[in-house]
Amino acid sequence: MSMTMTTAHMTTTYATYAEGMATGASTGAECAMPGAGLPPALVVDGLSKRFGGNAALDGVGFDVPQGALTVILGPAGAGKTTTLRLVAGLDTPDAGTVELAGRDAAGLEPRERDIAMIFDNLALYPDKTGFQNIANPLVIRRMARDEMEARVAEVAATLQITHVLHRLPKTMSGGERQRVALGRALVRTPALFLLDEPLSSLDAKLRIELRAELKRLQRERGCTFLMATPDFNEAMAIGDTVVLLRQGRVVQVDAPQRLYDAPVDREAALFVGSPQINLLEAAYVPGEDGGHMVAAGTQQAAPAHLALAFGGVARRFELGIRPENLRLTEPGAGTTSGAITGELADIEALGLKSVLTVANPAARLRVLVDSAEARPLRLGQPVELEAVNTPRMLAFDPDGGRSLLHG
Amino acid sequence: MMPRKLTPLQALLMGLALIVVLFPVFWIVMTAIKPPTDWNASPAIWVPSKPTLINFQTLFNPDAIREYGVGGVSQAATDAVIGSLLASVSATAISVVIGLFSAIGISRYGNGGKSTPLVILSGRMFPPAAIAVPFVIMFSTIGLIDSYPGLIAIYAAVTLPFSTWMLKSFVEDLPREIEEAAMIDGQSRMMAHLTVTIPLIKGGLFATTMFVFILNWSEFMFALVLSYSNVSTIPVQLAKYVTATAGTLYGVQAALAVLAMVPLVIVGYRIQSHLARGMTFGAIKQ
Repeated sequence: MSMTMTTAHMTTTYATYAEGMATGASTGAECAMPGAGLPPALVVDGLSKRFGGNAALDGVGFDVPQGALTVILGPAGAGKTTTLRLVAGLDTPDAGTVELAGRDAAGLEPRERDIAMIFDNLALYPDKTGFQNIANPLVIRRMARDEMEARVAEVAATLQITHVLHRLPKTMSGGERQRVALGRALVRTPALFLLDEPLSSLDAKLRIELRAELKRLQRERGCTFLMATPDFNEAMAIGDTVVLLRQGRVVQVDAPQRLYDAPVDREAALFVGSPQINLLEAAYVPGEDGGHMVAAGTQQAAPAHLALAFGGVARRFELGIRPENLRLTEPGAGTTSGAITGELADIEALGLKSVLTVANPAARLRVLVDSAEARPLRLGQPVELEAVNTPRMLAFDPDGGRSLLHG
Repeated sequence: MMPRKLTPLQALLMGLALIVVLFPVFWIVMTAIKPPTDWNASPAIWVPSKPTLINFQTLFNPDAIREYGVGGVSQAATDAVIGSLLASVSATAISVVIGLFSAIGISRYGNGGKSTPLVILSGRMFPPAAIAVPFVIMFSTIGLIDSYPGLIAIYAAVTLPFSTWMLKSFVEDLPREIEEAAMIDGQSRMMAHLTVTIPLIKGGLFATTMFVFILNWSEFMFALVLSYSNVSTIPVQLAKYVTATAGTLYGVQAALAVLAMVPLVIVGYRIQSHLARGMTFGAIKQ
């Protein structure tokens, strides 16, 4: 029964393919466009997996909508690869369900799931040429030679690897191998693409180029991508939704900007954003006009959203300020209320921007400034800072690190 | 692998090692072409002045040697050569095929849990002599004694731990993602193993086959105690060249030993290029 369904689906996909070719669509194959009322491409629920005594995944659940690019973001060992392998059917979950396009995938072999996957370590066929590697899924499906060659040529042109089609993987550079692995997935139009750190072995320039290319392909063809990465920049740059994973649990599922602006806990705030967010021990004192707060050896009016979250009750908390929300003020221009004083401990030039580290007995703060501003500064000199964009300040519970701004 | 230039010291050591390894081969080949008078001459004759093929002829025609005034073996070696080929080839094939699927099952699917591989290996942990006599009794009861199916079964069983463990290490060396890529590409698990795993561990498969074949080919004890008249193998035949009148027929023994080496040398030479590792270079990110 399940086999019949798979075959039927494949046929439909190919029909869509042929159409794309006939109309001369520049991007070739189209993925199934999301229609109203379609179930999500993937629903993962309560997924758990243990390896030996260690829980790799512990009750992971999230949805992947059709036609969107969903990113699983997390540090090494968070369970990203395990999640993708369970979705692909390469491993069996200890508990939980994987639903593909509304259909329970339990017991289905990988080939019955209508997915493509790019492995973390690429896993090219060492005895096959670039062409044979990319064409393999089509050969297995017994596609006609002419059509197959056209499809491979097209994918290779998109990925700029036409010159390695006749070569074995061992003679390719790291970036070429990575793109052949991408090609092997992109030559098909499965219902779901799983990408396990697909850009990790590329140099910075190619990585940024290719991630834009991936995003473009995904959007133009209407494909559904689920991509794992440890790099929050990559997640921010191309993700429609980010699933933040930590130690086998889902920490937060949100749009990238929302994840940045409103992380659910201290660790999420630290993981997302570079230079890292400043965390300061702080105390809130209720009073007129929302009261005030004390942090980094200074006192200032509490922003309204914090006062509201605290509900007029005095408490200790951890104040989070992103480095771009601190600003150098003119020293000696008369100390503004709430200014933080300290001495300049470090300057890290990043090109257009520079990161200053300002230290005082109560705190060390990272400040993101224009490099032009940093140029006249000397290490050890006294500086003054003020917080700007105060509505973006974050507050965390000093015990456990939960955000105090989430419900 | 690039050919490496040896330092003089390395070349010297290599030369010594070669002499140690090749001297017995030289001696056995020389003995095989010596006439009976030279077999155990003292002082030793290294290279016979009148080389002869009489020893080889005697293998298949026991009376041939009588022209030198020695004799006493009635049985030709023909049956033993055919018997050895039959038993070794069949048992090796069975052992390697079962071992291959066990190896994939154990290393890819964790079949049998942690203990099964060790239980398989424990089959090698006691001396064969300890199980030989029980097998004689069992095989007598079920009618497998002195039969090729019996000998093949026991050879396959005895070498299976080696096949399984050797192949397991080769399978484990191969990144599983390569065959998983084939499953993702649309192949069933079985087809992925047949078309991806097995071709990529070809070198290991050849090495294992060769190793198991040598074990079976030179096995003596089981062949001796499990055979009476129907079954014969080369090692058992070798022991039969002892006569009451002329003592041991060294030359004839050497001739049979040389004959027994031939298939190993040919096969070893043909597959040596496959024995090199590094087949998967470039497949995965290093």
